Amino acid sequence: MASKKVPSFEYALCMACGSCLPACPFGCLSLSKQGLDRYRTAFPRLDRPESCTGCALCAKACPVDCIGLVAASDLVERKKENS
Amino acid sequence: MKACMGKILRVDLEKRSFEEEIIPEETWLGYLGGVGLAASLLYDAIPAGADPLGPDNVLCFSSGLLTGTGAVMAGRWMVACKSPLTGGWGDANCGGNLSPAIKQCGWDAILFRGIASEPLVFIADAKGPGLEAAGELWGMDAIATEEAILSRHAGGKLPAVAAIGPAAERLSLISGISNDLGRYAARSGVGAVMGSKRLKALVLKGNRPIPCADPAAVKALSKAYSDKVRRQNLPGLMKGRFLPVLGKIMGGKQVLPLDGIMSAGIMKRWGTIYNNLAGAVNGDSPMRNWGGSVAEFGARHYGKLDPDRIVKRETRKYHCYSCVIGCGGVVDVSDIMPGISHSHKPEYETACTFGALCMNDDLETIYRCNEICNRSGLDTISAGGTMAFAIECFENGILTKADTGGLELRWGDGKAMVALLELMAARKGLGDLLADGVKKAAERIGRGSERYAMHAGGQEPGMHDARLDPMMGVSFSADPTPGRHTISASVYYNVSHVWEGVPWAPKSTKIYPKGEEYEATEREADKSVAGTCLKQVLDAAGGCLFAVATGTQHWRIFDYLDAATGVKRSREDYMDAARRIQTLRQLFNVKQGLSPRDSIMPQRMAGEPPLETGPLAGIRVPIKAMVSNYWRRFGWDPETGVPLPETLAAYGLPPRPAFQAAKLEVE
Repeated sequence: MASKKVPSFEYALCMACGSCLPACPFGCLSLSKQGLDRYRTAFPRLDRPESCTGCALCAKACPVDCIGLVAASDLVERKKENS
Repeated sequence: MKACMGKILRVDLEKRSFEEEIIPEETWLGYLGGVGLAASLLYDAIPAGADPLGPDNVLCFSSGLLTGTGAVMAGRWMVACKSPLTGGWGDANCGGNLSPAIKQCGWDAILFRGIASEPLVFIADAKGPGLEAAGELWGMDAIATEEAILSRHAGGKLPAVAAIGPAAERLSLISGISNDLGRYAARSGVGAVMGSKRLKALVLKGNRPIPCADPAAVKALSKAYSDKVRRQNLPGLMKGRFLPVLGKIMGGKQVLPLDGIMSAGIMKRWGTIYNNLAGAVNGDSPMRNWGGSVAEFGARHYGKLDPDRIVKRETRKYHCYSCVIGCGGVVDVSDIMPGISHSHKPEYETACTFGALCMNDDLETIYRCNEICNRSGLDTISAGGTMAFAIECFENGILTKADTGGLELRWGDGKAMVALLELMAARKGLGDLLADGVKKAAERIGRGSERYAMHAGGQEPGMHDARLDPMMGVSFSADPTPGRHTISASVYYNVSHVWEGVPWAPKSTKIYPKGEEYEATEREADKSVAGTCLKQVLDAAGGCLFAVATGTQHWRIFDYLDAATGVKRSREDYMDAARRIQTLRQLFNVKQGLSPRDSIMPQRMAGEPPLETGPLAGIRVPIKAMVSNYWRRFGWDPETGVPLPETLAAYGLPPRPAFQAAKLEVE
């Protein structure tokens, strides 16, 4: 069975505008200080992957197209690589 | 037309009933949305002479036309009503996260009339609208209220919340409405109106899609703008202590054409508090209740308000919905106020009103005052302005220790300031007398205190000196919501590029002598009118002033509106809609029996008598002549400020009310 799709953020493009947060019908996203820029910006992240349906409304709402949909299993692999 | 939801919700709190209403296409074309939609609805809905704190007043929360369409910097919501502070048109505007939530519930605006029999909370979700008893929330501070509501929704999509604090429950006329844990729609006494209706909070949890005619075009505009903002970063060597140099350039004798996009770098680094130092040296920051200057509050004092010291406390940046700049911040003040878990970084307005205006250089006092206001619901500008008034009254013997309950109200005494503010928030002792702003306080105190009451039409002005920027004085004096610093000013106008595509808006692309701004000329009046109109379009769209401050050649509001609505219009068409909105707001005041001339700011603020020291020494602003010119260029009577019949006919507005407004005497 194919893994479900979940959002993945391209943080180099993300402006931390938070447009994706209210777009999610299930409240799966939250802001998290990732330490990725000099301004202590809080960027969005997938906080509750178990509730994500892969509806892509967050990606649609992103004004700079920094959210892509990836297989959940890929995301786990990426997290392992980054950790 | 796309971009709007096409419907509003009317709530009768007395009957606990709800009524949806479809808004016709011509309303959107004529008034756009946001403040325009509110004006079009409230002009008829609020009868002449309505008690602002009575059942006939209507409190309207409206979203912006661009909100949720994919446009960036377009997440501001508007709340409008008859103001209990000014007796006329009242509105306030806020970022945070409420604006998309209004639309996601299926409406462009939610209107509340009547008075509830018990404190209520309005809730809207997928099931539709509802009202619940506020219960233990009534009496809680605004931030704790929101935290309590959010905790009930943990584990799912969090709602957006707008709430009032105890000051608004106690009907303080200088109270506002909080959103996103302490962002405020603070002005015009909108909090008191919500308190009078016994409406503690709005809880919005919708999921409806927000329509956009051309999402690809909107995103292309957003990406282009975001790229520009991303590149605006100040070098690490640029420290806050260098900001006085910027202030001196901005206040120089020659006005330089600057590219507004540079402001994005400044706002990203510090937010509005960059002006703590820049505004101190060039005279923008009013001092000692508008009667002092930097000669008295020199580098030894204003230097302590260095924005770097405040930014050091930031635990993270704060962005309103859809904001790509992020001028806000959440600060850690737990060492000053143990137990405080969430505190928004003080804005410049707050830092100045509790800083230079009261001759206070203690940052801890500013953090405390900021927190007291954000939790109780007091408007920081009005609260600080009222405090400066009280101090000046005390210094001049009009108030004594018998009046203050033993407090020594002296310039720069932080402890006394905090104690007085706590009294105001609780409406105790002298605080009860001051909790309705300076105009009411002066009326109650008498004994000549009126001369220290700095207000325009009842509202305490924002912290920008009209003796440095006379256009700001015109906004303070002539806007239907007087005393507002966010309407029009040369510092905004010169970077706005509004003249591109609007032939009647004067170009400002070359160096010019600062002295030109102090002349009551047609050109200066047209700049004020064009700047005001751009602000009406902005407030209709839900846009942020700091986006316009980067320039409309970068943040392309008119192209955004075309793409989002699917209706291609000229810039002049949009500016015409803005004239309609502004004229209707003015007409509202006339309908309510206000003479526009009574909103003109006090002589002290216009340089009568002129300051004797500092960068603004000797400066006088011909404010009455400038206001008269502004009225005329808007198509209003230059003697009374009442819109002329031909202007009303041209914009399809109602006829002039019978009220005869008093005439302005221009020297």
